[in-house]
Amino acid sequence: MRKTLPLLILVTILLVAGNSFAQGDNVRNIFFDTIRTGDVKGTPIGVEGMKYIGNQYITYDDSLLMDYVSGTVQFDIDFHADLELIPLDSFYLKTYEIFEMDLLGWKRLGADLLVKLEAEFPSTKIRARWKLFDTIRRQQVARGVVEKHKSQWREIGHEIANEIVHTLTGEDGIFLTKIVYIKQIGSAKELFISDFDGAHARQVTDNGSINLSPVFSADGKRIYFTSYLEGDPQLYSVEVNSGEIKRVADFPGIIAAPAVSPDGNKIACTMTKDGNSEIYVIDLNGKVIKRLTWHRAIDTAPTWSPDGQMIAFSSDRSGAPQIYLMDSDGLNTRRLTYEGRYNDSPIWSNRGDRITFVSRTKRGRFDLASINTSGHDYRVLTEVGMNENPHFSPDGKHIIFSSTRRSPRDIYTMDITGRNQRRLTRFGNCSNPNWGPIVD
Amino acid sequence: MKRFGLLAVIGMVGLMLMLASCGGEKPQPVDETPPVVVVDTTPTEPVEPPPPPPPPPKLKESQLQTVFFDFDKFNLRPDAKSSLDHNYALLNEFADAIIKIEGHCDERGTIEYNLSLGEKRARAVMEYLTGLGIDATRLSIISYGKERPLDPASNEAAWAKNRRGEFVIISQ
Repeated sequence: MRKTLPLLILVTILLVAGNSFAQGDNVRNIFFDTIRTGDVKGTPIGVEGMKYIGNQYITYDDSLLMDYVSGTVQFDIDFHADLELIPLDSFYLKTYEIFEMDLLGWKRLGADLLVKLEAEFPSTKIRARWKLFDTIRRQQVARGVVEKHKSQWREIGHEIANEIVHTLTGEDGIFLTKIVYIKQIGSAKELFISDFDGAHARQVTDNGSINLSPVFSADGKRIYFTSYLEGDPQLYSVEVNSGEIKRVADFPGIIAAPAVSPDGNKIACTMTKDGNSEIYVIDLNGKVIKRLTWHRAIDTAPTWSPDGQMIAFSSDRSGAPQIYLMDSDGLNTRRLTYEGRYNDSPIWSNRGDRITFVSRTKRGRFDLASINTSGHDYRVLTEVGMNENPHFSPDGKHIIFSSTRRSPRDIYTMDITGRNQRRLTRFGNCSNPNWGPIVD
Repeated sequence: MKRFGLLAVIGMVGLMLMLASCGGEKPQPVDETPPVVVVDTTPTEPVEPPPPPPPPPKLKESQLQTVFFDFDKFNLRPDAKSSLDHNYALLNEFADAIIKIEGHCDERGTIEYNLSLGEKRARAVMEYLTGLGIDATRLSIISYGKERPLDPASNEAAWAKNRRGEFVIISQ
């Protein structure tokens, strides 16, 4: 049953999206087909509030903890691009004068799946059990237990959501990943790290300088970034746990726009050491492996294809910034974008088939747009504010970016289609996010 | 009430000490060593210390004009060139001044692209000055991209102010 359920869901999605299941390659286009065909949503799923199953009176604090855990699971499930959280409709409960929903009730609300959460409180811990039900067949299809200290209620919720997502999709969940972003404090710009949902934010650098363009290392333990710490903007790395800062490379001029290769052993970046902005590949000790571009225009913002064989970058060699592709040895350069007069900051999707970038759209402002790697199917993903600094989530289903839509600038996330745009920070001075890898 | 009494006593004592220190001048100790007579044997010529040379006038940063650029451009407009001619004359006059040229951009466009663009602007300014004859070793460049706007507003007037090349005096 565990194995057939994901298949069932996949088939449902594919059918709704108008795809033939036989064409395996179409799986990767599900998300973009959903835009084309209108408002197709993910698999509808309900998550009930957590219930105590012990035989003692519970404290008020413990009852709050249960709300926190189920709230976290509900947020995560709702966040996932392939799942659609069905909110528990209190109107429905009142109308039918019932206090507890059964599987049929959830089915009537539109949920194909239901998660029930149960808690016990052994000493200072929460033992949280989750059970996943198929409301159509009225069967339990999976279950699990997570036990942690009460102070780790967020982690309990995220871990349960990860297990549910893994059960349903076979993929690792992103709900225990970290993000890094830049927050302006006075005239300084410092690195901050937080959970993927913005919780547990903490300052990583405190050097009073301008720190920019942070990117996680492949193992998530370090963050590479550009900093004016010693004068010129140069490349540094900071260890996430200790906060220890190390200079990675030392060349005259600018070292900017670092992009870690998929194997984690190389960094593509922009340097001006030879008198102009060119793209180079360096090793993790700052030694130049190869210079990739040789044009007197600005070449910058490199991003690796998932197989590491190609690099997309931006260049104003045509007179204004546009996206170009080249092999990762610098050969076979060709222009990718022709739409509009300003396309920059490309990021290569984890599936490899699309490139998302910043585009100056018809409304004259900066939006996120997406195009496939053959240069077709240009789509605009945002429509308010100035939107910049896109990066993918490690599962490739979400994009994190900064936007000026409701404040001077804050961090937002959305599905890769542009749906479900959510504000993550509320400080009004945050930019330049990057999403860390899934780590055990 | 008890506490008040204590405070009063402390106040009184303090007042008395103050009065005591102001009152009665102490006799000055008398210096009894005889004055030493120094006989000047050198030919008398009134030695007047030479007047200290007037401090050399210093170049002020405010005298150096900031130059401005068009959107997404780093070429020097005619007004920028006349500002640079003005700055060139000053740099010639104050030949010890070591200068850093900062390239800046407006908020539009990406962080990385603007970092590169800012450097192109700073380099264009430097090359114009070295072309006029300023020693390249006196000049250096840095780009701040769009990270240090003069005016944080989001309108044409602010953007025009922010697309600039600024002069900073490192030493002189």
